[in-house]
Amino acid sequence: MASENKRRWGFVIEVKRCIDCKACMVACQVENQVPLGKHRNWIGRIGPTGTFPILGLKFEPGNCMHCDNPPCERVCPTGATYQRDDGLVLVDYDKCIGCRYCMQACPYDARYVDHEHGYVDKCTFCVHRLDAGQPPACVETCVGGSRHFGDLNDPNSEVSKLLATRDHYVVYAEAGTEPKIFYIS
Amino acid sequence: MEQIEWNLLVVNYLFLAGLSAGAFAISSFATYIGGPHFRRVARIGALIAPFPVAIGVGILVLDLGRPFAFYYLFLTVQFTSPMSIGSWLLTGFIVLSLAYAALWLPAPFDNLLRVPNRAHLKDFSQWTPLAPNTIRRWRAILAAIGFPLALGIGIYTGILLGAIPSRPFWNTPMVAQLFLFSAMSSGTATVLLVTALLGARHAHGYEEERRLLVSTDVVLIVLEIFMLVPFLLHHALSTWSSASSIELILGGEYTWWFWIGVILLGIVLPLIIEAYELFPVILKEGAARYSLALSAISAVFVLIGGFILRFVFVYAGQASHFLPLVTR
Repeated sequence: MASENKRRWGFVIEVKRCIDCKACMVACQVENQVPLGKHRNWIGRIGPTGTFPILGLKFEPGNCMHCDNPPCERVCPTGATYQRDDGLVLVDYDKCIGCRYCMQACPYDARYVDHEHGYVDKCTFCVHRLDAGQPPACVETCVGGSRHFGDLNDPNSEVSKLLATRDHYVVYAEAGTEPKIFYIS
Repeated sequence: MEQIEWNLLVVNYLFLAGLSAGAFAISSFATYIGGPHFRRVARIGALIAPFPVAIGVGILVLDLGRPFAFYYLFLTVQFTSPMSIGSWLLTGFIVLSLAYAALWLPAPFDNLLRVPNRAHLKDFSQWTPLAPNTIRRWRAILAAIGFPLALGIGIYTGILLGAIPSRPFWNTPMVAQLFLFSAMSSGTATVLLVTALLGARHAHGYEEERRLLVSTDVVLIVLEIFMLVPFLLHHALSTWSSASSIELILGGEYTWWFWIGVILLGIVLPLIIEAYELFPVILKEGAARYSLALSAISAVFVLIGGFILRFVFVYAGQASHFLPLVTR
């Protein structure tokens, strides 16, 4: 029973729906009290592509991919970075010594140093909101409806349905990290 | 990454740890060849070994975001984290090399090597001095245990970088070997430098000692070339991300550091100087042309080159990235 009920949180992001408004970045900044100048999520810019007059520009929002095979967890010398049963990759701030090895290991550059406290921090998928039954702040605020969030293990969840019906990709699949943010182009 | 996270403090640490490992290894090597000719090499190597690495580790702790939390490293062993294995390895090496250095203390300090005598526990002067045989035996034992540890430190400094797939510049097995040989070479060069500065004083068999150090260094430098060439070829013939990453040293930001600092200063010049010293011996045309000045210069070049090698790798590695890189 337990394994059937096991959750596996993940994102599905529709690239075409992102309008680069950066509301997700602001929502995250406020929700998680992220130090000024640091970001837990971002909006990547793809393009401009094509030749004039047929040009294209896409935006690829992102945050920590909470990889199934997280390289940051593998290299952490103290076990501060750990993976929860529901697939979330989190940092135990007491154990983090601030060596920044995880920042070298993350191909997505999802981590930053919290200089006030000295530890390394990153997106938590808003774990405090999830545990209270709410979606992450960036998802709730997304203006274009680009960010979708849910349980990848539940076939009836919005994310599972999107993945079942739409073409999708992950970033740096060749890194073998098995990220849990899927992009619909 | 948006900025360089591992800076000169880490470069210093990698260099100093490698230097210590090399000094220990050459000392251990000289101990095992034995005989009076190489005693000075063994002693100087042993006396140098514990200190650079201890300073380097101190520097590294200061580089941490939370220096006072460093002890969490020693509450666990994370088998998949090179840094965790390395922390334990470094601790073992520093402790062992301190004990080893104590056993090589020159007279009159060797008088400090005493064991407590039950009757006179309170009065140090009454403790029994270690017998010369005991000292020799323990030197041999620690040299034997420490040699693989020293090689481990040398390899670890490279694995630390090489085991990170996200930084294509680092992610080849050659980095570990290159750092190992460079570590051994910088340790040997340090002993070469110190012995050259001391001159023939306290040396039994100056010629033999020079030959050991200079020829060992030549071999190590050649081994470094054997690693650098496949390193460049591997990257050039590999994936897009990998091939692009060495553009950092083939026209990119670290090109001059690499070709002038690492290749010219660290490899070509010392190799030429040391080959010049050894040439008559190689051709069997007479005595080698060892000189204090040449040894000292070649050793300094090796050390500068070794430092710049760590600098180029630490910095260029962090600037390398999987591709395509999406602008943020």
